[in-house]
Amino acid sequence: MARMKFLCDADRCIECNGCVTACKNANEVPWGVNRRRVVTLNDGLPGEKSISVACMHCTDAPCAAVCPVDCFYTTDDGIVLHDKDLCIGCGYCFYACPFGAPQFPKTEAFGMRGKMDKCTFCAGGPGEDGSEEEFNKYGANRVAEGKLPACAEMCATKALLAGDGDLVADIYRERVMRRSGRPQTWGWSQAYGEG
Amino acid sequence: MRSRTPKIVLIAAVTLLLSACYESPDVTRHQPGVYKGESDALVGKMGNNSELHDELNQRFDGQRDR
Repeated sequence: MARMKFLCDADRCIECNGCVTACKNANEVPWGVNRRRVVTLNDGLPGEKSISVACMHCTDAPCAAVCPVDCFYTTDDGIVLHDKDLCIGCGYCFYACPFGAPQFPKTEAFGMRGKMDKCTFCAGGPGEDGSEEEFNKYGANRVAEGKLPACAEMCATKALLAGDGDLVADIYRERVMRRSGRPQTWGWSQAYGEG
Repeated sequence: MRSRTPKIVLIAAVTLLLSACYESPDVTRHQPGVYKGESDALVGKMGNNSELHDELNQRFDGQRDR
């Protein structure tokens, strides 16, 4: 069984925001909600690095662990999804998520939070696949149509990879071998040091 | 003869007010760690569907370097 994963190659990302635009376009994400965004470290300095961040569909998702109404579920392929009818918009998941993936539209007065919205790996949500209701609530269900997330398929430099974790790892390993260095995954030097 | 209008208006207002107190009996009772939302058709579809997986893996080839 596959485990669907995202991986952003920091050496290839050119901060074009094509993934962000593709996501917004494919899912008709409301104004003010960013399911995906590009983060740049040391912007404007030599050696700056950019990575595209969204929900990483964690194996042991902390958002699901803290949700007081248990609105999260994980598909057999490891895609973390949620039910907006159960969500109470408390924001616990936002505090728990290390990637800042959960987003809350300000739909009411006084900045009151609406139901949580996040990247669905373009796999929609509960309910009938490909229905209008599903699209309005969760966005496109490309996976049911045999397609991969729009952000990764749109990436011009193929920095953002999405699909079966084993295949993603194979591609990245090949790239690293070709570069003949250690993996340049963001956070590697923080975790393991420069030496 | 006194007009009945105020009485009717009052009854209508009280009915309206009370109808706002209606509470749906279909409440999802929470149980820690148990997902009780609507089922997702994709969950069952993906689990044992090698055809869909093949299709996705084929699609993934588009992300490889040319």
